[in-house]
Amino acid sequence: MIDISLIKHLSRLSKISFDECELADITRQMSDIIQLMDKVKEFDSSEKEYRLCPQKYENLRQDTAAESYDRELILKNSDNVSAGRFSVPKVV
Amino acid sequence: MIKKLRKMLDGGTISVNELTEMYLQKINISDLNAYITVCGESALKDAENAQRMINTGIQTPLTGIPISVKDNICTKDIKTTCASKMLSDFVPVYDATAVEKLRRQGAVILGKTNMDEFGMGNSSQTSYFGGVKNPHDKNYTPGGSSGGAAAAVGTDLCVGALGSDTGGSVRQPASFCGVCGLKPTYGAVSRYGLIAFASSLEQIGTIANSAYDCGCIFNQISGRDKYDSTSCDCDDALSLVGTSVKGLRIGIPKEFFGNGSDDEVKEKVISAAYTLRQAGCILSEVSLPSLEYAVSAYYLISSAEAASNLSRFDGIRFGHSSHTDSDYNEQITHTRNDGFGSEVKRRIMLGNYALSHGYYDDYYKKAMQIRTKICEEYNDIFEKCDVILTPTAPTTAHKIGTRDDNLSKTYLSDICTVPVNLAGLPAISVPCGFNKNNMPIGVSFVGKKFDEKTIIALADRYEEESR
Repeated sequence: MIDISLIKHLSRLSKISFDECELADITRQMSDIIQLMDKVKEFDSSEKEYRLCPQKYENLRQDTAAESYDRELILKNSDNVSAGRFSVPKVV
Repeated sequence: MIKKLRKMLDGGTISVNELTEMYLQKINISDLNAYITVCGESALKDAENAQRMINTGIQTPLTGIPISVKDNICTKDIKTTCASKMLSDFVPVYDATAVEKLRRQGAVILGKTNMDEFGMGNSSQTSYFGGVKNPHDKNYTPGGSSGGAAAAVGTDLCVGALGSDTGGSVRQPASFCGVCGLKPTYGAVSRYGLIAFASSLEQIGTIANSAYDCGCIFNQISGRDKYDSTSCDCDDALSLVGTSVKGLRIGIPKEFFGNGSDDEVKEKVISAAYTLRQAGCILSEVSLPSLEYAVSAYYLISSAEAASNLSRFDGIRFGHSSHTDSDYNEQITHTRNDGFGSEVKRRIMLGNYALSHGYYDDYYKKAMQIRTKICEEYNDIFEKCDVILTPTAPTTAHKIGTRDDNLSKTYLSDICTVPVNLAGLPAISVPCGFNKNNMPIGVSFVGKKFDEKTIIALADRYEEESR
């Protein structure tokens, strides 16, 4: 059951917020979407054990340090730079 | 078309600069909104470099060929926006491996094509930079999410295009715009530099005017890359073109021809199958019983991966940033609220719902079990068949603005393409006719893993037979 309190919980997890007007809309839209997603509940998985990952990838490269990208160039994409570092809002 | 241009460029009938200028002019006067960024200056530099390669006799199949790149594939020093306000000013410091390979071949990168925001959509109308129009009728969508790429190829604003396909985003717009679209096997093309939406499903694919051209571009971008541990070396995708298709076994899954598909689409797709039977292929009816669960499973898995992948957009290291005097969480929430469009927000919410405590077993786990079941059903079909034939989409393109409020209907229209992504298979969409409104219809050929060569040869033969 999708209600406004669940939507508020999901929006906190998603780091997205909705004002009161938007909340009604997103609740209705999410209800429609979840109704479609409920189809998966009809799938009978009791007949056998299904693996959750159909394929394995083991072709990993050696974990060795290599040349990286230019620090100044990378910082150019941020508005939050001071003293050659990313600057974040105060957490503690 | 690439073969023809290759001859002209190598023979000096046209210079790379002239060809590039011609395409840049066409892009400038087009009103389809197919491109977000046009790389006039850098394209002309690419052209100069390509001409030097030709003049010194070191050209490759793509040297001097004008190509577009979807705007979710990183291009060094060229804005890569994912059609989102969140990345509207983002300039990558590196090329995606696929782009780097194109540059090495001397291809000319004309610009970055429009798309649905972060690839989340099938109409190319959710772009922050405005929607794309269909080249066959501007009142219709071009499909999506690689709608800009397909519209650009369809109206000759580039010779070939790189797109990306997470649930049909190369094949469906190719079908809607009357061009060819190849979704390679998962792992065939490096995803390094493809801005992640759903990492276990997406692949960079190619869009062009013929199956041969799709294969030609694919050959140049595919192969093992140390920056993508899922990537593998591949066979020459053009090695079977021109060989006989006699005796090739084509399976037609009955579930793709149900009530949800337009009659005109079914008729043209079946007619394409009969054309191939006349060329010597053996047709048989097969079954993919779990198709009914595919759309829901796809949306749950892709949204769960999107919720995780898009958590990197916090406005700190790159991308849009909303400055407030509030604390860390509030600032990030404000940035994401302002930077993401409605569909992206819905997908993130759905993903977090599917992964949440109390819902995981019912949704995400079930979806992954269905994914495994669908893989098994494809394997069963490929015991008896070499290729599977289906419609690319259940309908032709729809009019712009006619589906905006009907989310379920929009999601369900991905039914024909998403199972291929769940199973990681290669597939190519080829035009097979028009409906009564003169909108294009596409037929898809699905192959075994890493068997691009068979589906491209079959598609090439179909194009020849239906000419």
